[in-house]
Amino acid sequence: MRYAFFPGCVLDGAASEAREATVKVARALDIELVELPGWTCCGASHAQDVDELAALAVNARNLALAERLGLPLLTACSTCTLMLRKAKAALDGGLKDKVNKLLAAAGISYAGTATVTHLLWALVGDYGLDRLRARATRPLAGLKVAGYYGCHILRPPQVMDFEDHARPRSLAALIAALGAEPVELASARRCCGFHAVFPAERDAFKMTGAINADALAAGADCVVTPCPLCQMQLDMRQREGKAATGTAGDMPVLHLAQLVGLALGMTGGELGLGRHVTPADHLAAKVGGR
Amino acid sequence: MEQVVYRIRRFDGRKEFWQEYRFAHEANKTVLWGLLKIKETVDPSLAFVAACRSAVCGACAVRVNGEAMLACETPLDALLERFGATLVLEPLGNFPVIRDLVVDWEPKAARLAEAKPWLVPREEFSAEAGCRQSQAEFRRINAQTNCILCGACASECNKLTTGDDDFYEPFVYTKAGKFVADSRDGAAADHLRPVLARGLWKCVHCQECVTKCPKRVAPAEDIAALRRASIRLGLADNQGTRHARAFAGDITKTGRLNETTMAVKTDGLLKSATRLPFALRLLRRGKLNPFHFPAPVEGIDGVRAIVKAAKEAKE
Repeated sequence: MRYAFFPGCVLDGAASEAREATVKVARALDIELVELPGWTCCGASHAQDVDELAALAVNARNLALAERLGLPLLTACSTCTLMLRKAKAALDGGLKDKVNKLLAAAGISYAGTATVTHLLWALVGDYGLDRLRARATRPLAGLKVAGYYGCHILRPPQVMDFEDHARPRSLAALIAALGAEPVELASARRCCGFHAVFPAERDAFKMTGAINADALAAGADCVVTPCPLCQMQLDMRQREGKAATGTAGDMPVLHLAQLVGLALGMTGGELGLGRHVTPADHLAAKVGGR
Repeated sequence: MEQVVYRIRRFDGRKEFWQEYRFAHEANKTVLWGLLKIKETVDPSLAFVAACRSAVCGACAVRVNGEAMLACETPLDALLERFGATLVLEPLGNFPVIRDLVVDWEPKAARLAEAKPWLVPREEFSAEAGCRQSQAEFRRINAQTNCILCGACASECNKLTTGDDDFYEPFVYTKAGKFVADSRDGAAADHLRPVLARGLWKCVHCQECVTKCPKRVAPAEDIAALRRASIRLGLADNQGTRHARAFAGDITKTGRLNETTMAVKTDGLLKSATRLPFALRLLRRGKLNPFHFPAPVEGIDGVRAIVKAAKEAKE
């Protein structure tokens, strides 16, 4: 299995531990990730608010670069996945020729063969959970894990059509395949508030706090999410979330690749668990690792 | 499947209670068929609204297992397959409830009126000559014309649930956006100012409105279009615009985000200084490296040329 890897900006910045965990997990599973040379920010729905056509053209370039490699594009961020898939839908829906005229300025063109997937979908759909279960040398027995989807991995379903947005199962199935106990989270499909944390700070912190409170009430040892933006919001802003909702108690929030890495026998240090704002490094010991 | 169960959240004007209704399953029916069956054969006191049965009037929107939808067009069998033999019916979320599944549109209509959702004809138009527009101009507003004011987009809107004093229902932005984009309308700022003052930049991008609209309208996209229109009109002195421009600017500068400068670009130096405790929290954990300035990506000249070409194509 080979993919063109689109890390996305936050994996180069505040969520660098997610990049390291993703690369190490892929290597351990014999999944080859070829980093897309010259990839640029997907716009994260914010650049789109300034200039829609430019944002579309920049993502068309990202897709065209993946076509050059002849590989499916894999991201590790729900918002990157949504932006790139939305761009593909717009291009394939009639804007291809118009945008290719713009790409000509960079001597590149989009043919339409690019596909965009996410690490979660690749593990569940392409790799297969039975194979993953077989590779889990250190099953996470006794660990209660709350799967949190957030928004962009599910919605809108006309663009993100991997599973039923109203009844997603992929995270619980993956958590169980790693030997951990999936914990139902009432707010698993609610928004963490990340994308409006500046203009709607008060709301964002309430949303963040509600999800953390939910996970605490459900008795989870940790939350796992396929989106590094959700992870950053729930982890880095947990203090503000608690203040906004009047809850106490820490809730570690893991990147998807970190949870997989733990089950593959990696140490907390290898997975960057010590780099979270809300302590998460005790989880490795909890599953019999370091 | 012999029996279907509707578990309905009821409200009699004073108290809320749950009631279960069982009836014999019939194939190829709709959610509304079940409601009518209950009302006609089991409990005439059950209150709900439905009119056209053709998915054009928008009256019958309800929540089934937490998802807003039109009762008249949703196949019952598909939902039974999706959610099992018990369906949980509730009134739309983010609406005041009058009785059972009937919600109050009066306050919503008042809020919608604030955005002036009507045509303010440009000066060159007259009653005698009419207001003509080209096919291409009409296509720009055709999708938004499909909004039937059913309220489904508002039901699970995450921002509205968290606070509605500084945010409108998604359909309000759609209606405002339609007139801002209408080539026959001469008062873009009059439609824009009210929505800019009430939450235009506070949408959290949860995509529930796009997911729930039964008529394929995409209010979140209309919000984005209104944001672009407000920037074009120079109504740009706000956090949201500065934040969005920081993204667009970084793409042409290096191709990738600079997280360190993001807060300053969005809030200005003074306000971002108040975020210092947060920044220190990140510094301590190695999540923020103030000395990390992304180098321009391979092919940055091409990226800049593409963005420039996009700007020229619009002019």
